[in-house]
Amino acid sequence: MKVGIISFAHGHAYSYANALTELDGVEILGIADENEERGRKAAAEFNTEYYADYEDLLNQPIEAVVITSENSKHYEHVVAAAKKGKHILCEKPLAHTAEAAQAIIDICKEHNVILQTAFPVRFSTPVVEAKRIIDSGDLGNIVAIKATNRGTNPGGWFVDREKSGGGAVIDHTVHVVDIIRWYTGAEVKEVYAEIGNLISDYDIDDCGQLTMEFDNNMFATLDCSWSRNDAYPTWGDVMLEIVGTRGTLSVDAFGQKTNLYNRDGAHWDFWGDDMDRGLVEDFISSVREGKNPSITGEDGLKALSVAIAAYESSKKQVPVQVN
Amino acid sequence: MLNALIIGAGTMGGTHAEAYAKMENVKLAGIVDINLAKAQGLADRLNTKAFQTYEEAVELDEIDVVSICVPTPFHKQYVMKVADDKKHVICEKPLAISLSDAREMINYCNDKGVKLFVGHVVRFFPEYVKAKKLVDEGKVGKPAVVRTTRGGGFPIASNDWYSDFASSGGLVLDMIIHDFDYLRWCFGEVKRVYAKSTRTRVFEKFEYALVTLRFESGVIAHVEGTWAHQGFSTKFEIAGKEGIIEYDSSKVTPVVASRKETASSEGVAVPESPMKDNPYFAELEHFIHCIQTDAEPVVTAEDAYKAMEISLAALESIETGKVVVLEDTQEKVGVQ
Ligand SMILES: NC(=O)c1ccc[n+]([C@@H]2O[C@H](COP(=O)([O-])OP(=O)(O)OC[C@H]3O[C@@H](n4cnc5c(N)ncnc54)[C@H](O)[C@@H]3O)[C@@H](O)[C@H]2O)c1
Repeated sequence: MKVGIISFAHGHAYSYANALTELDGVEILGIADENEERGRKAAAEFNTEYYADYEDLLNQPIEAVVITSENSKHYEHVVAAAKKGKHILCEKPLAHTAEAAQAIIDICKEHNVILQTAFPVRFSTPVVEAKRIIDSGDLGNIVAIKATNRGTNPGGWFVDREKSGGGAVIDHTVHVVDIIRWYTGAEVKEVYAEIGNLISDYDIDDCGQLTMEFDNNMFATLDCSWSRNDAYPTWGDVMLEIVGTRGTLSVDAFGQKTNLYNRDGAHWDFWGDDMDRGLVEDFISSVREGKNPSITGEDGLKALSVAIAAYESSKKQVPVQVN
Repeated sequence: MLNALIIGAGTMGGTHAEAYAKMENVKLAGIVDINLAKAQGLADRLNTKAFQTYEEAVELDEIDVVSICVPTPFHKQYVMKVADDKKHVICEKPLAISLSDAREMINYCNDKGVKLFVGHVVRFFPEYVKAKKLVDEGKVGKPAVVRTTRGGGFPIASNDWYSDFASSGGLVLDMIIHDFDYLRWCFGEVKRVYAKSTRTRVFEKFEYALVTLRFESGVIAHVEGTWAHQGFSTKFEIAGKEGIIEYDSSKVTPVVASRKETASSEGVAVPESPMKDNPYFAELEHFIHCIQTDAEPVVTAEDAYKAMEISLAALESIETGKVVVLEDTQEKVGVQ
């Protein structure tokens, strides 16, 4: 199967490209990037063709495309790919606004192409194991969840609101919201958020603490801050504390690590399974078998809506309904 | 030499009594408990006298200071009685169930000219004290996002009084008030409170609550309280502009004894973090010192009142689903 990649603006492009090269029968036919230097470098690294214009790449005989451009460009790239009948794996958040996300979903339906939102955490082996435990009913009813998805401020376009749609809150809310929806089947009804720009000197939100009320009488909180600094031994985390009426469950998606101490300081060397590979593998198999994607565009939109409601809540200082 | 009396021979009464028994400048004069057998058991162990009522105890001995370690709803009546007798008061936290009671108790002690101390002992836990010092020294830069955790299993006590919400206020008033007080000590006044708890959702002996605080300084804090887990632990994390402080009591285990159990083949590990003096000793020693020297305590009765304000705001938020802005909560009625 021939696959293209549009833009290496998002760092995940590298790990998705790595995963693609590891899959049997998959070839990266080309990489399009408006940033020529970045695009040529990536093309050389993955031994493939560079395209200055993504339309040229889309005109090639590729079946699918991975879109890892800036959030605000997802819409343009998805529309172009869908019109050419290419199946799409789109980086999260699906878009920088709910309207753009909805339009992305609609255009893919119209052109009958697969649209999968890139939520790799669903493919973390510990996260999957936790779902098995929840599904077994051992914990009783899930009544509350406390989560963190913290990170390091990525800088670059991530701190340019025009391109990203927002900072830490839009970047780090969607993964955990998706996991909670996947675990419980519940939808977020209402969000309250305390958001701040307290860490970096960029003018963008880098601290966020969300509280969510779900339609099944469950609640959850999420710390989505870019609060990890360079001295911290790792980039960030995805952790969930799940409280059921008969037991509790702690999940640490990046807990499988070895600690390294050397001249560069302390570092946590992760050795667990590669979730990005799981995501890409799943997408490719959906394309091959022509089945519905395991994570849909609607999943991407639901998660994005929570982040957008969080911004509104923080501005108004009241809990906000999510639609 | 000060003579100290304990009212309430439960978990906290035992802790206070052991601390006084160890202090060179304090004499443990007696233990009072309506359950005389309990008072007697503790008194025998620590070589002092047992009484069934406070009145009997004060008649017999010259008492200078009284530790009030009865369930929260009984704090007020004893604080008033002890103040009437012109003795200094050390009262366990939370000071009261309602802010109006708390205010009345503070004013009453003032009027009677006795000192009132409240057992917000977290200000005496070395890891918490050290963390505040690091923050004050600027080691993490300007503080930004703070997280705390406290709890374990559901507490076991006399008459199962913790499971009666009207008596204990649940974990939000009874337990994470420790974190509220600590956070206020470190980061100043709280502006807004938003909270959720399982209390209004699950009708079992079980509680789990998550509280978000926004401080005047901009700091965002998240406080987790649990009576739904196995094994007590406390955690905190302070992320600032330039650094991060992390602590997890369950990972600080300098002494772990692991024994083969006789009954089952499973072993049991008992972790300990031993210190020469425990934080309760340090707290009470400080209060005694303040009585003797008339010094201002590290934690005042007014601080205890402010911590209650945060707890009661969290309870209001849980009840109403709304954000509670602290200026609006002056003299609230408290737990209904
Ligand atoms: N600082 C801390 O870390 C901490 C920890 C636990 C409890 N506390 C607080 O300490 C207080 C006591 O809690 P506890 O866990 O020790 O309770 P407990 O139930 O273990 O002990 C209370 C004792 O008071 C006695 N008592 C009850 N009513 C009485 C009355 N009217 N007169 C005399 N004696 C009476 C009971 O018989 C019992 O022995 C509470 O306010 C609680 O919130 C503080």
